[in-house]
Amino acid sequence: MTGVLVQSKLPLPLLRRGKVREVYEVDDTTLLLVASDRVSAFDVVMREAVPFKGAVLTQLSAFWFDRLKSVMPHHLITADADEIVSRVPALAPQRRELHGRAMLSRRATTVPFECVVRGYISGSAWAEYKQSGTLAGESMPQGLVESAQLDPAIFSPATKAEQGHDENVTFDHVVNALGRLTAERLRGASLALYEAGRDYAAKRGIIIADTKFEFGTTPHGELIVIDEILTPDSSRFWPADRYQPGKSQPSFDKQPLRDYLADLKKQGKWNGEAPPPPLPDEVVRATSERYRDAYRRITGRELE
Amino acid sequence: MNWVSPLSTRYASPAMQALWGERRRIGLWRRLWLALMQGEKDLGLAIPDAALSQLRAHLDDADLDKAAEYERRLRHDVMAHIHHLGDQAPAARAFTHLGATSAYVTDNADLVLMRESMQLLLGRLGAVLVAMGKVARRYRAVPCLAFTHFQPAQLTTVGKRVTLWMQDFALDAEELLHRIATLRFRGVKGTTGTQASFLELFDGNQAKVAQLDARVSRAMGFEHVLPVTGQTYTRKLDAQILAVLSGIAQSAAKFATDLRLLQHEGELLEPFESEQVGSSAMPYKRNPMRAERMTSLARYVIELEGNAWHTAAAQWLERTLDDSANRRLVIPEAFLAADAILVLATNVAAGLEVREETIGEHVAKTMPFLATERLLMRGVKAGGDRQQLHEVIRTQSLKGSDNLLDRLARMAEFKQLGVRATDAELDPAAYVGRAPQQVDDFLDRVLPDLMHSIQAAAPVAAAAEVQV
Repeated sequence: MTGVLVQSKLPLPLLRRGKVREVYEVDDTTLLLVASDRVSAFDVVMREAVPFKGAVLTQLSAFWFDRLKSVMPHHLITADADEIVSRVPALAPQRRELHGRAMLSRRATTVPFECVVRGYISGSAWAEYKQSGTLAGESMPQGLVESAQLDPAIFSPATKAEQGHDENVTFDHVVNALGRLTAERLRGASLALYEAGRDYAAKRGIIIADTKFEFGTTPHGELIVIDEILTPDSSRFWPADRYQPGKSQPSFDKQPLRDYLADLKKQGKWNGEAPPPPLPDEVVRATSERYRDAYRRITGRELE
Repeated sequence: MNWVSPLSTRYASPAMQALWGERRRIGLWRRLWLALMQGEKDLGLAIPDAALSQLRAHLDDADLDKAAEYERRLRHDVMAHIHHLGDQAPAARAFTHLGATSAYVTDNADLVLMRESMQLLLGRLGAVLVAMGKVARRYRAVPCLAFTHFQPAQLTTVGKRVTLWMQDFALDAEELLHRIATLRFRGVKGTTGTQASFLELFDGNQAKVAQLDARVSRAMGFEHVLPVTGQTYTRKLDAQILAVLSGIAQSAAKFATDLRLLQHEGELLEPFESEQVGSSAMPYKRNPMRAERMTSLARYVIELEGNAWHTAAAQWLERTLDDSANRRLVIPEAFLAADAILVLATNVAAGLEVREETIGEHVAKTMPFLATERLLMRGVKAGGDRQQLHEVIRTQSLKGSDNLLDRLARMAEFKQLGVRATDAELDPAAYVGRAPQQVDDFLDRVLPDLMHSIQAAAPVAAAAEVQV
């Protein structure tokens, strides 16, 4: 593992730069995804990077892709830097920078919906439920408390917004947009992937409260799961031993960061908007340790 | 203590037991008397409002002990209840059961109960399909040994096998949907089915009698009415319905038996509670007792079906009473046992333990045998003699799968052809054919429409039961 990476610069055409990831074009059928160590909180990207975070996101995704491949085929070709360099020799000089954090992937046409699965009611879903007793406009059981488990878990698709927040839509909306067959497949696969991941993580002390999947279609018309999967950035991870329904839960990974920023806000030292305040080393270190702990617990391995 | 059916004490759900309980049945009789009285009044008979309002006030408060006292004297269950109702609703006494025969309440109530029971079972089938669908989806592409003759054959996937069970239950659900949609009411037909007594009541007005039949049926929730009956509705309806219950039992028995075989293989296990005891003598045992119970109850339901055929076959002319005692036992018990079977099936399917590691070991042990088929093809393509190579493979296979491919590669017959098995040939995923795609098609193409129909035909039951 080398030092932190705030932003990758590779000799390949850059297709997209997200909050955390850069996506490069390798060729017509292959992409390279590089996860940086950037971290955001309260929708603001921090100036400091969190060591190992990019590697945790990439390696955890690789772990899940392999573990859940019988539920749904995925886009990952390899997340091994040597293997990547041998397939894309132009990247040889960046071998160390890619280590652990890069993912060579099959290129697919992205399905234009975020496939959210909620196993616990939290965040925007809780806000909507509290106000109207619904979720994405569909009626829900009465008497749920904040952070309560939803059984069965609920498929709650959303549009992919270019700017700002994604907007929740109904299942029928997805049916109208993509056809019933694809919509059923997205829902079925999302729920199955989530439930398999939830059950596995629960045995290791982590509640995966909700998560977001992205899917794509290959040139052969095969539906595959793409991007990242069941990571702390695409999901809410809660420490199982501190789970107390009836209030909001601490985040398994970002809590040290959130606590620090919330404290600053309370003291009036930060207005909650960019630019972000500088982060003390111990906050960065504690957050990094949380990410690595999540990886360790779920995979049973140390991050290389 | 006297005999009590184990269906009540052990097996059937509270919901199904309440449906077939005496209180519910008598409540239905009273509703049937109310519907008849209302219909007769609406069509012009001089029935006072007080008769209706008193009857309406006593729909659910029959005193079963008092009715039993009457029955001891009268030796007739329907007349006993008419008298007891007369005590509770004196203004209705003179007009209750007017023009009707016992079969008006007994047969029509049975039809209501069977329809509601079928809706409950339909909801339960939906729950089984939901629970199994999750397993099928999660293990859609996990290769496992397929068995023909209970001998290892080519590979399939765990999820594909689950869809075989699901398809059987789905076919049962389609049958139930059909029976529910087409079930016809006995309606208002009189002693021999000619409606003579009603024609008398309405002074020969044909139209009013026909209207009464339709109105009462609609009031009891039935759009379709049997156009002709004897004293009773044709017992063929019972036989058709019990055939569906028997079908459910057959599907469950096949599922349960497969599970018992696979639990023996250590591949697929029914749920086991942390405090559950497998055997009183052998504490290490983990028996597939739920699956065994399903098989046991299924055999009972399958055998009950025959009673209904015989009853349908044995009815003389406009009716004989030899159906009565048999139906009183067979119909409720078939529903109670089918209910117990589906509750078990849901419970087992929702808690199935899939041992991927053991499944993988069994596959790995068989892979070399499977790979020899491709080796043979490539040997022949490379110029080998098919019969000669086949014999080499046969003799080497008899020594077991360990190092089989290496041994074959060293045999002169293959060596001279330069043919050997590659790693790709040992990848189980290459041997499952379209199994994962078949699972996808079944789950995403076939099942949603059926689940939709189930929810539409059994809205209450489905909403309550499909949550797994």
